[in-house]
This record gives sequence, C-alpha cells and structure tokens, in this order.
Amino acid sequence: MKSWHIKAGLFASLLSAFAGWSDYAYAAGKKYTIALIPGLTTDAFYITMHKGAQVAADALGVDLVFQGAPEFNPVQQVPVLNAIIGRKPDAILIAPTDKEQLVSPLKKAVDSGIPVITVDTFIGNGRYQTGTGEADFPLSYIASDNIQGGVIAAKALAKAIGEKGKVYVSNVKPNISTTDQREQGFKDEMKKYPNITVLETQFNDDDANKAAAQFQSVYARNPDLAGVFGANLFSATGAANGAKQANAQGKVKVVAFDAPQSIVSDIKAGNIDIAIAQHPAEIGFYGVVTAYAHLIGQSVPPLIGTGFTVIDKSNVDDPNVKRFIYSD
Amino acid sequence: MASIPLDDTVSERTTWASSVRVWVASMRAWIFFFALVIGFEVWARMEYHTTFLLNPFNASSIAVFAVGPLLLALGQTFVVISGGIDLSVGFTMGFAAVVFSKILNATTGAVWDPLAFLLAAAVALLASAIPGLINGLLIAKLRIPPFIGTLGMYGVARGTAYLLAGGTTVPISNPLVSFIGNGSLFSVPITVLVTVVITGAMMFLLSQSRFGQHVYAIGGSRQASLRAGINVARNTVALYVLSALTAGIGGILYTARFTAGAAQAGEPLLLDSIAAVVIGGASLFGGSGTITGTVIGALIIAIIQYGLVFVNVEPFWQFVAVGIVIIISVLVDQTQKQLSGGRSDE
Repeated sequence: MKSWHIKAGLFASLLSAFAGWSDYAYAAGKKYTIALIPGLTTDAFYITMHKGAQVAADALGVDLVFQGAPEFNPVQQVPVLNAIIGRKPDAILIAPTDKEQLVSPLKKAVDSGIPVITVDTFIGNGRYQTGTGEADFPLSYIASDNIQGGVIAAKALAKAIGEKGKVYVSNVKPNISTTDQREQGFKDEMKKYPNITVLETQFNDDDANKAAAQFQSVYARNPDLAGVFGANLFSATGAANGAKQANAQGKVKVVAFDAPQSIVSDIKAGNIDIAIAQHPAEIGFYGVVTAYAHLIGQSVPPLIGTGFTVIDKSNVDDPNVKRFIYSD
Repeated sequence: MASIPLDDTVSERTTWASSVRVWVASMRAWIFFFALVIGFEVWARMEYHTTFLLNPFNASSIAVFAVGPLLLALGQTFVVISGGIDLSVGFTMGFAAVVFSKILNATTGAVWDPLAFLLAAAVALLASAIPGLINGLLIAKLRIPPFIGTLGMYGVARGTAYLLAGGTTVPISNPLVSFIGNGSLFSVPITVLVTVVITGAMMFLLSQSRFGQHVYAIGGSRQASLRAGINVARNTVALYVLSALTAGIGGILYTARFTAGAAQAGEPLLLDSIAAVVIGGASLFGGSGTITGTVIGALIIAIIQYGLVFVNVEPFWQFVAVGIVIIISVLVDQTQKQLSGGRSDE
C-alpha cells in the first residue's frame, strides 16, 4: 500500500514536470541517454525489466542503453559498468551484483557526474541519501520488497497445506541480497503458524538436477513433507521435479518465486502449485522515470517498492494476471 | 616412453602394467563407493533408526540424480583417456536442450507425437555434434591445446544457446516426451534405462572396439600412435564428436525431465563430470581410465550429495566432501603411477 502512495506521488510530480520541462529539454536540443545494467543479460526477469524501461524511455524521448554481463557476478559486471561510465550517459540504472563490491565502482560514476539509481538489488544496506555510510550515494532503490515476497509465499503455502506440516526452502546459495531476503521473509512469517515446521534450507547452486535430488532426499527422510518454497526459478522447478519423480506431486505443495514463461505450463501441469510474480517491467519503467525526474530537476524518493502477483491454477489464464508473466 | 622401440617384450610388459594400473584405479573407486554406502547406512541407522541402502526410493533418486553428470562424463572419459579435456560439454548440453525444445515445439501438434520426438532428438543430436566436430578439428588439425580450444567452444555454444532461447528457458508440452523424462518401466525411471543402454554402448566402444584401443594409444603416446600407423587426427575428431553427442543426449533427457530446455542446463554439471572421470580412475595425463570407473565416480558424487542431505548435514560439507574425494583419488593415481613408472624403468 505504502509503495502505491509513493508511486502515485511520483506520477503527479512527473505530470507537472512534463507540462513545464519537457519542452524546455527539447528546446535546448538535449536528448538524455540513460544506461540500464542488469544483474545478468540472460534472464527473463531482466529482459522484462528492459522492456518496461524501454516503454518509459520511448514515452519520455530518452535514449536507453542496455548492456550487461552474461553471469550474475561483480567480476563480469564491473568492466561493463566502466565501459558505460566511459560513454558518459546522463544517468545509470544498475542491478548491482554484490552489496559491497560494487560500492567503489559506482562511486566512480557519481564522481564523474553521472547519477546512479539501483534497480532490483542494492549496495550497502539499500537505504540511500541518508548522509551516513559509504554506500548512500545512489539516488534511489527501485525493487520488489523481497522480504515481503517471502512473506507472501509463506502465506500462500501455509494456506495450501492447511496451516500444518513440514516445509523447507530450496535456495540458490547464501549472500545474494534478494534470495536471502525471500528466505528470511518466508521463515519469519512461518513462525506465526505453530503447526508448521520449517526444515533446514537446501542450497542447490542454481542446479535444477541438484534441487530435485535434494527434494527426494528430504522427502525420503520426511515422508510427511507438506510443502517447498523455491526461492528462484531453478530451485522451484528442481524441487517440483523431485516431487514428480517421488510421486508426491499435489501431495507436497510447491511455491515458486518468479514467473517466466515456463511457469505457466508448470502450473497447468500441476508441477508447481503457486508462483509469486515480481513486476520487473514496473521496476524498469520507474527506473527510467525516476532518472528522468532527477535529470529535469525534480527530487525523487530514495525507495520505490513495486508489487507482486500470486499466480495459481485458478487465475493463470486471467489476462490481468497473465501480463505479469515475464516475457522473452 | 616414446623413445623405446616397440619390440614384443616391452609392449607386453606395458599392457600388463597398464592392466594392473587400470585394475588398481577401478578398485580405488569401488572402495570409496562401498565405504560411502556403508557409512551412510550406519549413520542413518544410528541417528535416525532408518535405512539408507535398503530404501529403493533412495537408490532410484540417486540414479536419476547421476544421469546428467554421467552422460557428460561418458564422453569426457574418452577425451580424458586420449590426454585431452572437453570444457564445452556443459553448454553443448544446454545448446542441445534448447534446439530440442525449439524443434519439438515446432513439430508437436503438426505430426504424430513420437515422430515429433524423434525428429527433435535427431536435429538436437546433429546440432550438438557441430561443436564437437569443431573442437576435434581445432585440436587435431590446428593442434590447438584441448583446454583452450574447448574453452573457446564453451563460450560459443553458450552464446548460441542463449541466443536461440532468447535468454530464457523454453517450455515444451508433449506428453510422450514428459513421460520419457519422468516415467518408469518396470519401476526403473526411463532416463536411467536410457543411460544404462548408452553406458553399455560406451563400454563396448572403449574396451572392445579398435577405436577404443586407438584412444588409449593416443593418450599413451601420440608419437608412438602415429608411428604405429594410427590415424590420430581422425580418431581425435571422432572422440570430441562422441563427447558432444553424449552431452547432447544429456540435454535431451534434461528437457524431457524438466519439460523445458535451458541454455544453462549443463553448466553446473561440467565440473562434476570431470570429477567423476578422475574419481573413476582416469588419469588427466591420458592413457588410462574406464567407463565402469566413471560410472562409479558419478555415483560416488551423487551419493555424497544425496546422502549428506539425507542425514541432514550442513549443506556446505557437500563441497568439502566431494573435494576431498577428488584429491585422494588424484593422490592415489600419482602414487601408483610412480610405482608402475619405477617398474618399467627396471
């Protein structure tokens, strides 16, 4: 709800901005260039974010540059960032791949006069413009609230299993800001259900094969397993396949975080019971809009939270829900 | 070795020594294997009063778990025995998975399901042979070191797979294919049956065929093989194509199982596949190794990872455990090589 107000406020300020400033920008012959650097380029989530950003860029008459590394790691992302800084865009939107390691590379951008906004992931603690700490210099952090996403996943799973039984989190690896927060939100929320036991988290290194075997191993020792929360795509599809191989499909409920195309067929086939979709297009859109607002002299909120949509068999074909499936 | 003339006594002694070496190497894998199974059984009984070994569900889960890494490791065994290494198999698997999904989606509905499957599988295998062929030509004709040549192909296959897939996973919906991926015959998962058949074929190829003998010879000494009249270049190309093909089969089975083709399907499996070959007794210097050893190696890795979850150990110990087994395997390999080396110097 809170994020909605922020958005509404932002929109209002933007509308007035359009009225007064866009003419000025064009009159001065200034066409802004905004760069978007995703966490990795080979992921439907960021591809969808790019599309949302493009919509905003087209509407505002901004040039959007989309460049990133094929893998989610700072070693590959920083050279891309430096190349972008070399091109001197008017603003940088980036999904930093590490909370600490991206701080000084991004400081370089700000030092050379390029404002930075982080999308999806953050640096430092994600609280910017506070005047404290080494990593408060980005203007704004625009993302889904991943803790809230974990809470939503927990609520949906608890409901699906009748608020009792054993569950566990199938996760990628520790120390990724977003998946850590989903797990944290999930576990915190599950504490409110006295009849639900959360077993030890299984880390699969983003390998669906391993996630499947882990499911089978956990299930072999806990035949009363009631549910799994897959904190990202492969964690969820892997666990779902483990359930299928173990003939536990339907009996053990699987909740998936994120909603690429393949999730639709997985939900319809009953492999996955519930998917929590983020709104990456919204993140991309407001990223560009926020950068633009700053460039034309408006103040911007330091935090913008975007929403979630819960998808299951009953609503997967609903057009209002379907538009939140990440596009290719 | 290369300077020793190939008279009868020497070659006889070499085969004898190498068969002892192969025997010791494969025994080492078996020892690990039984120690692990018994270890987990005792642990499960003492801590949880349940059985690990005698639960058929565990056995079948571990077998399914091992399918992916094993298929990559089968072709890798040939490459490693020849003295090479193939770093591109992971993404060749992903490439095949994406090609298979795309063709299957284009044909499902238009033709009879089994035909769509065969068509998609044939195209995927042909497509996966291409990176293998290029690897082989680079290494055999242009004499590029395997590590570099296949590292380059790693990038090319990866990029091509992602481009084809549009950067995302490609869902499929073909009931026959998902039955192949998740169904069972006589309560054995079909993916496991397919892998057993392919393993049998590879075993025959390596131990009974002329091609297999040549692979050992090339790994033992390229110079000697050339002098003995073996067409080293052609055999080298063939074995990199073979490696790409087993990876391609891995990609098809992955897609069938997860009903979606993913470019990154094989990426996490590459190191496990090399580890399986090494634990199974093959030497990274070439000339030795067996398919049986590789199968045991792949099972050892799967058992460690599955078993530690089963007995509920902190997840990070899995990496430590697999790492320790690899190090011990290589140590044993080098020790027995020094022993056998000392023998031939007499």
